Amino acid sequence: MNALEIENISKRFGDFYAVKKLSLKVPGGTIYGLLGPNGAGKTTTIRMVMNIIIPDEGSVRVLEEKMDERMKERIGYLPEDRGLYPKMKVGELLLFLAEVKGLRGQGAQKEIDFWLERFDLSAWKNKKVEELSRGMQQKLQFIVTVIHKPELIILDEPFGGLDPVNTKLLKDIMLEMKEKGGTIIFSTHRMEQVEMICDNICLINKAETVLEGNLSQIKKQYGKNTVVLDYDGDGSFIRNLSEIEKIDDYGKFMEIKLREGQDPQSLLSKLVGKIAISKFEVREPTLNAIFIDKVGERDEKDTLSH
Amino acid sequence: MRKILSVIKREYLQIVKTKGFIIGTILGPVLMVALIVIPIVGQLISVGKQETIGVIDFSQQMFDELNKKMDHKLKDGTRRYLLEKFELSASIEDLRSQLSKKVLDKELSAYLFIPENVAEGGEAEYISLHTTDFEKIKDISGALSSVIIERRLKKEGLNPQKISEYLRPAKLTPVKVTKKGEEKDIGATFMISYLLVLILYMTLFFYGAIIMRGVIEEKNSRVVEVILSSLKPFELMVGKILGIGAVGLTQYSIWALFGFAASKYSKSMLSSFFRLPSDFRLPSIPSYIFIYLVVFFILGYFLYATFYAAVGSMVNSEKEAQQFLFPITMALVIPIMLIMFIMRSPDSTLSVVLSIIPFFAPILMLLRICILLPPFIQVGGSILLLILTILLMIWLTAKIYRVGILMYGKRPNFVEIVKWVRYK
Repeated sequence: MNALEIENISKRFGDFYAVKKLSLKVPGGTIYGLLGPNGAGKTTTIRMVMNIIIPDEGSVRVLEEKMDERMKERIGYLPEDRGLYPKMKVGELLLFLAEVKGLRGQGAQKEIDFWLERFDLSAWKNKKVEELSRGMQQKLQFIVTVIHKPELIILDEPFGGLDPVNTKLLKDIMLEMKEKGGTIIFSTHRMEQVEMICDNICLINKAETVLEGNLSQIKKQYGKNTVVLDYDGDGSFIRNLSEIEKIDDYGKFMEIKLREGQDPQSLLSKLVGKIAISKFEVREPTLNAIFIDKVGERDEKDTLSH
Repeated sequence: MRKILSVIKREYLQIVKTKGFIIGTILGPVLMVALIVIPIVGQLISVGKQETIGVIDFSQQMFDELNKKMDHKLKDGTRRYLLEKFELSASIEDLRSQLSKKVLDKELSAYLFIPENVAEGGEAEYISLHTTDFEKIKDISGALSSVIIERRLKKEGLNPQKISEYLRPAKLTPVKVTKKGEEKDIGATFMISYLLVLILYMTLFFYGAIIMRGVIEEKNSRVVEVILSSLKPFELMVGKILGIGAVGLTQYSIWALFGFAASKYSKSMLSSFFRLPSDFRLPSIPSYIFIYLVVFFILGYFLYATFYAAVGSMVNSEKEAQQFLFPITMALVIPIMLIMFIMRSPDSTLSVVLSIIPFFAPILMLLRICILLPPFIQVGGSILLLILTILLMIWLTAKIYRVGILMYGKRPNFVEIVKWVRYK
């Protein structure tokens, strides 16, 4: 079962394409990462999935049904621009937002109490939202997203602006949902998060899909021609070695792309004795490298064709 | 539909629970009653104060007669004005500055300077700390005039008493004829019409602004997208407008209760405190006027609320909204400026036309109904036209609202707004 199927959706604002002929499939019970640089069209795509803006063309199917207003009750959504009514009391706010998701009466109250308890916010139930700290408001926002037990949750840049405690909390909620068979889609431009938790990804750049599919398969396609190096000392000579195609040097950490057919071992032998190596790992490229590769490649093509 | 109900409930409770609403609702009628009752009661109970007015009679022959004429009485039967004559001893300038000082020191409430040739048209002067006590000025100028006129008449050998009998003006009492009969009208129609129209005008402004503020708040707090993940923009807008509208109706109902109680019991209450003249009557208001007041509030509210909602969605702050609000403000202020015109000729062609124009209709048609119930075809026609305009406005503003609430940053210009309307 696919939790989400997008087929050829486009959205134009005037002459500007925010999303162009985009298609993707999100298998049920997985965590799906929507990647792309700022302004790539991630938020517009998500808003179209949520029926908040209407696509000019193409179709969206959610949980095996055509997306419409009714389906909103089965989806939890955390927008990039988060917000709550500052003047409402926490309990009233949660009740209102549960009600518009179709959850009412006793059931709603039970869920509200459960989640407030779980996030240590019970004491704040009768306080106004504006009296809560930023971190607490973030927790409240998570509760709003999941209170109606959605089968699919869509998170737009969920980790932006979160403190480490809430980052972990959110990650736990996501994994817990997955365990229970739910599906999570989230957008981000931070690659390391994706590598840690995503099963599948879609890379969007300039309104179009660049890459889509299973994360480990994508990485395999790129092969094991990457060396990750933790070191100490002056590594500037490495740049000029013949084995190297591309290098990403952070001073104490290096991601090296080897030339086709080069043996990592011969590289290692050239390094020994010149720098102190604490880690030498041969692996698939990081998503970050793939991302820069793909997005950069396109940009170069664009510049050439102009 | 249940979701819209949730929005209505939220909006309603958010406003009704505020102190501002409670105070406004209770203070509104109290203020209104105070506005009407205080001057009446004030006149009924205040004895007033005796005042001393200095007189410099340069003509040397006016003072005694003037003193006789200025015999206005206070409630307790004593003289209201005491006139004190100042003989011309030093130069005029010295005397005047001397009296001015007395006025400044509040020994005199004012002084009067009567020139020598006052009977031949010379100008008398009234000198006081302030010149806005029109009643006093009227008393003095009346007394002085009659002294002078009598003097002139006597000079011509005529009998002033006879002449004043000849010149007594005709008495004219305005009587309003209705289907139920005739009714003396001593300005009550004017007062009531004015009051009701002002209530309508203020509440339309007030509730429109509440809607707009709500929309801006949802935008600024970024909560709007969270809600749109559950509702259509249109549902949110409709829920908001209905919810705030329900607040307005609540307020009107409370006021109506106050008004009903006031008109039923205020006379007996007043008479238990004061001796009222036997022909004292509180103005009666036909009940259909109240029904029309509510009808035109609802229609006017919907007309302007949609507009305010759209403006709120276009801007980031109330300050930015001012420019867009100009048309609404005009549509509300112009009818208020036309009140006098309509009152003078409520059934002239121009009045009829103005009161049917949808944006003026709530205020002007209500005003005409208060003064002189227009033919049903005009009232019905204006209501029908209003409803059609409202539907058109909802259609148009919903399109603007839908796009606007998700737009941040630069305030859109007219061309962009037209584009928004065209978006799918």
